[in-house]
Amino acid sequence: MMKVLMVCSGGMSSSIVVKAIKQEADKKGFPLEIKAVGTGEFDEELKSGGYDLAIVAPQVKHRLSVFQESAKALKVPVEMIVPMGYTPIGAPKVLEQIKKHAK
Amino acid sequence: MERFLKWIEEKLMPPMAKLSEQRHLRAIRDGVISTLSLIIVGSFFLIIAQPPIQSLAKAVAPNVGKIMVPYRLTMGLMSLYAAYGMGYSLSKSYKLDGVSGGVLSLAAFLLTTIPLNVDTFVTAASKAGVQGGKPMGWILPMGNLGGSGMFTAIICMIFAVETMRLLQKYHVTIKMPEQVPESVARSFEALIPAAVIITVLWFIRVWLNFDIQTTIMNLFKPIVNVAGNSLGGVLVPVIFITLLWSAGIHGMSVIGSLIRPIWLVLLDQNTAALSAGHALPNIAVEPFFQWFIWIGGAGATLSLAILLCFSKSEYLKRVGRFSIIPGIFNINEPLIFGVPIVMNPILAIPFILGPVVASIIAYAATAAGLVAKVTVLAPWTLPAPIGAFMATGGDWKAAVLVIINIAVVTVIYYPFFKVYEKKMIEEEKQSEVA
Repeated sequence: MMKVLMVCSGGMSSSIVVKAIKQEADKKGFPLEIKAVGTGEFDEELKSGGYDLAIVAPQVKHRLSVFQESAKALKVPVEMIVPMGYTPIGAPKVLEQIKKHAK
Repeated sequence: MERFLKWIEEKLMPPMAKLSEQRHLRAIRDGVISTLSLIIVGSFFLIIAQPPIQSLAKAVAPNVGKIMVPYRLTMGLMSLYAAYGMGYSLSKSYKLDGVSGGVLSLAAFLLTTIPLNVDTFVTAASKAGVQGGKPMGWILPMGNLGGSGMFTAIICMIFAVETMRLLQKYHVTIKMPEQVPESVARSFEALIPAAVIITVLWFIRVWLNFDIQTTIMNLFKPIVNVAGNSLGGVLVPVIFITLLWSAGIHGMSVIGSLIRPIWLVLLDQNTAALSAGHALPNIAVEPFFQWFIWIGGAGATLSLAILLCFSKSEYLKRVGRFSIIPGIFNINEPLIFGVPIVMNPILAIPFILGPVVASIIAYAATAAGLVAKVTVLAPWTLPAPIGAFMATGGDWKAAVLVIINIAVVTVIYYPFFKVYEKKMIEEEKQSEVA
């Protein structure tokens, strides 16, 4: 089971995308656990969760360096979601991105 | 337009993004946001106490004092809560103890207000025959602890946390032996910073009798007035937010963090006026933007979502279908990245122009007194007409204004949408052939 954390500004829009990604993963038979949080909760959640990967919503790319800093200490890779992937129908693209980090 | 978008992405965005990531501004934003739940709930009590309908107002009149208690202790003490939250966040960002930083910041803020003892007046008044007063010991005037004290709270917070940080950096702290439990050791570490902060503020406020609160308030007054009561105060944030979004950055999270303290001060002035029965002073408070301009999310994209649903392009129709429901609740990232609007030279124009026109209409309608000024911070995920109705304390004309703005913005989007749709349909045909 791969565990992925997605961060967006408030954790609202990402929950829509997360749902689509989860459905896509289920359809493809890829074991995936994925959760969405807002920027404020990112630190705590990443520490507590044992995540394999953190993905960043495109609209908060200006905070990427902050996320990278907190993820570096925990050795969790951080990746930007491709802009067109950040929609319900973009889910397959993001799943491909996630799969690249699967162990 | 394409070059202009590139310019935004390369030139405008980095400094803006950097500014919003600046440590102190981030602390202010996080601290202020931590008080929003209290403000949302508190402002609803104000509306219950001051209902817009005459008959209801009469019914609650005998209990207004009681109903207002939660409002007074939430919005009325807004800066007090923010002082703690901001101090906590700033110390955390320095990897210092958050609770100590929060408490020191709170103390620094409180030291700008002098407690009073009015017992002699109360006793004299009772002797003179005034009923109902009894001695109450020391009391703290609340006037400056609400929104009007926000700027003082910010400055005190920075002073307190920076003092703590510098003293620890140069090792001016009391170090405890290792056997002492960590929590005890931490409270001793805050001892010297506390002594410095308290003594300095006490000296300035009490011995020099320098009124920190009033001075800072006067300093910020011109900015607050411009922000709250001019068309520029509405248009500048609207233009910056839409520009940033069209380069793919969450504009509200960048600009909002800079302006939100001012918006809270403006909101506090409005609610204070409402509870005192005066005319409301300010137009451009955060809910004004939320309900009259950001209908469906930044860029007023609910209008575009409606157009997309009827698109002849297969792709755009799909985008419309999955973005219309979130759009009703003001979530529009699926649309912004789906269409996409980001770095899209055709649709960036109405994305900026639509909200600008909506702002002008809403500002004019409010300034002319056709629509009530906002007093309530309602949760931003409400559908806009309902949110507007609640935010204005129950003015149905506010909901009508929202619907007018949706229609106007739809007209603005339409020609640009058609151009983009044509381009998409051509691309779809080509990929079919291929």
